[in-house]
Amino acid sequence: MKRRLMLLKRYGFALLSCAFLSTSAFAAEDTAPGVKGASDEEYTPAKEVLTVKYVQMEKPYHLDVESLTGSFKDAKEVVIPLQKQDKAFPNGGGSVSNAEVKAIHDGLSIYFQVKWKDPTRNARAIAVQEFRDAVALMFPLGTVLMDPAEHFSPRMGDREKPVNLWHWKSDWEADMLVKGELEDVEAQYPNMHDDFNLNPYSAYYHRDLITSIAVLSGGRAARNLLSQPGRGRSVEDLNAEGFGTLTTQDHQDVFGCSRYEDGEWTVIFYRSLITEDPHDAQFVPGGNTFFNMAVWNGGEKDRNGQKNISIQWHPLSIERVAWQ
Amino acid sequence: MTLVHNWHLGRRMEYPYFESRPKRQFAAVFNINRCIACQTCTMACKSAWTYNKGQEYMWWNNVETKPYGGYPQSWDVKTLKLIDNGENTWFTDEKDEKLSPYGVYEGDTIFEAAAKKNINQWAVGYIPEDKEWRSPNIGEDVAKSNNKSDEYSSLPEHSRWFFYIQRLCNHCTYPGCLAACPRKAIYKRKEDGIVLIDQKRCRGYRKCVEQCPYKKPMYRGLTRVSEKCIACYPRVEGKDPLTKGRPMETRCMAACVGQIRLQGFLDDNPKNPVTWLIKHDKLALPLYPQFGTEPNIYYIPPRWAPRPYLRQMFGPGVDEAIDKFMVPSRERLAVLSLFRMTQSIVFEYKIEEGPKVFETMIHGKKFEMYNDTVIGFGEDGQEIVRTTIEEPIHIRDPKHLNSI
Repeated sequence: MKRRLMLLKRYGFALLSCAFLSTSAFAAEDTAPGVKGASDEEYTPAKEVLTVKYVQMEKPYHLDVESLTGSFKDAKEVVIPLQKQDKAFPNGGGSVSNAEVKAIHDGLSIYFQVKWKDPTRNARAIAVQEFRDAVALMFPLGTVLMDPAEHFSPRMGDREKPVNLWHWKSDWEADMLVKGELEDVEAQYPNMHDDFNLNPYSAYYHRDLITSIAVLSGGRAARNLLSQPGRGRSVEDLNAEGFGTLTTQDHQDVFGCSRYEDGEWTVIFYRSLITEDPHDAQFVPGGNTFFNMAVWNGGEKDRNGQKNISIQWHPLSIERVAWQ
Repeated sequence: MTLVHNWHLGRRMEYPYFESRPKRQFAAVFNINRCIACQTCTMACKSAWTYNKGQEYMWWNNVETKPYGGYPQSWDVKTLKLIDNGENTWFTDEKDEKLSPYGVYEGDTIFEAAAKKNINQWAVGYIPEDKEWRSPNIGEDVAKSNNKSDEYSSLPEHSRWFFYIQRLCNHCTYPGCLAACPRKAIYKRKEDGIVLIDQKRCRGYRKCVEQCPYKKPMYRGLTRVSEKCIACYPRVEGKDPLTKGRPMETRCMAACVGQIRLQGFLDDNPKNPVTWLIKHDKLALPLYPQFGTEPNIYYIPPRWAPRPYLRQMFGPGVDEAIDKFMVPSRERLAVLSLFRMTQSIVFEYKIEEGPKVFETMIHGKKFEMYNDTVIGFGEDGQEIVRTTIEEPIHIRDPKHLNSI
């Protein structure tokens, strides 16, 4: 008996420290470097439900904020509190405190309207020190349960818990309005000199060089959607499963339009309720899902994790269509 | 953060990823003493890689005049201020040949300063604005002087001075840009240690522009993503037909008119000219080792510039390196003769001894010169270059005296 106690005394500490180390190793595994753990509060969805109202609407010829805004008049807004992103490096944001979201659908497409206050309009990211205003919506893929036990992160999803993101960019919208559908560097630096424009017949003499995508630029040759002219949309369709995993989808399905007036952005996202892409969130009338969002303030040099985020999932309820 | 060993600092330091050294590391030695700032390297790079739209301001290779020059302007002063907490000192009493050849750095690196300041990102840094990238030649040939108008300078150390510094991406062992990228779009190749930005994964966040202390990743407004020096990797891989599959030096190295550059790989072979100059002879020193990224472009410091300035720039190994350079040993002279003798990368050298041809005293030290032959071997062990210390003299036949 005494011998046993002695043994316990001798090895007890080692055993205890082993147990302690393994728990701490488990905890460390849960998070990537530079990422702090999340609390149970974050895994619990918010109470207030955003109802996606069914609206019978005549599709306007031009899908812009002016023509769509009337359809949102009966939809009830949800105000989403936003805060600084303080979990994954680099931390940042905190300049936008809330955003107002409304949603409608017409049986074919779903429309989300997001409004937030931003005193500066930053719709270009050509100079090295300039960053764009942007807003993103995030949806879980598939049917999911949101409770603390499930640990479905409201911040970019998690491993084996993928999310679908719709990222609207103010400069993409500006790109759509110019010839070639990509704002050139001359938009930022008028009358700048470049070797190709110096020669009045440059297009003729350097045709091979100018038209060769591989020679022209790495980003374009690598088919990076950010570098492509003629995207035809201002919203990027993406997937993620955790911090740093954001990836552009091969198939882009989401569109958007915007208006900036009196220090406020109004952005409308729209997409068909159902798509063929298995990487997209699907919206079934009568069904429920969740969403989350983030806002980037270009004037405060927000980009990537430096953003204003909501730290909870928000329930989304899609109304049945009238003939159902 | 994990702890990694940085031999420039002679100690372990904090870095977001584990220590993972490449099989061999892309590296180069630049002899500042011989540079004439002709910018041929700069133009060689420009015409190969950055001649296109949105890249007008990009100079992956540039040569700037110190102390006043800088591309982007004052990049080094600004970054030094970010890490300086008043105790950026070196402990040099004890050195270990392998682990701490220059002594131990006691100040903060860019990574440690960020952790200390609690700024919630991996490294301290700043984004130079577009106006700071303009005028890459600012301060060119502007000398610093404490002299009065009737005072003159004399070697070894001038009191009126400037020198040129040749800069490109250092393909660091612990890159600040790689640490900074929140989406791991930057990677360091295992085969040769070249650091590249994945043009597909990059989303133009400019965290690399911010946290590279050498300011060598650059944002391209046209494509909305960042680009950087790619160490001419097709040449280094031996894809250029000119060298028939042998690894070839980069454009900026091969174009060097002043013959100041030698590029190769840092490895464990003591007879590799680059490894010998850096690790064994310690003639070539890293640029701002205190940033903590373990940069891989090494410099033979200029012998005429004030030592405190050079110590700040190249660490405490400066005095020894300059003494060695002013009175070169027989082997050193032979290895220095290999600079720019071939475009193929030299993996090993051999010296065949020759007769003594010259003898003198330099600053009280005896210097003897032997006309040795130095032979360079390629990756496959084949001889690729052979040269002698004394350049051969050809006297033109009187018959052809005035002909071309």
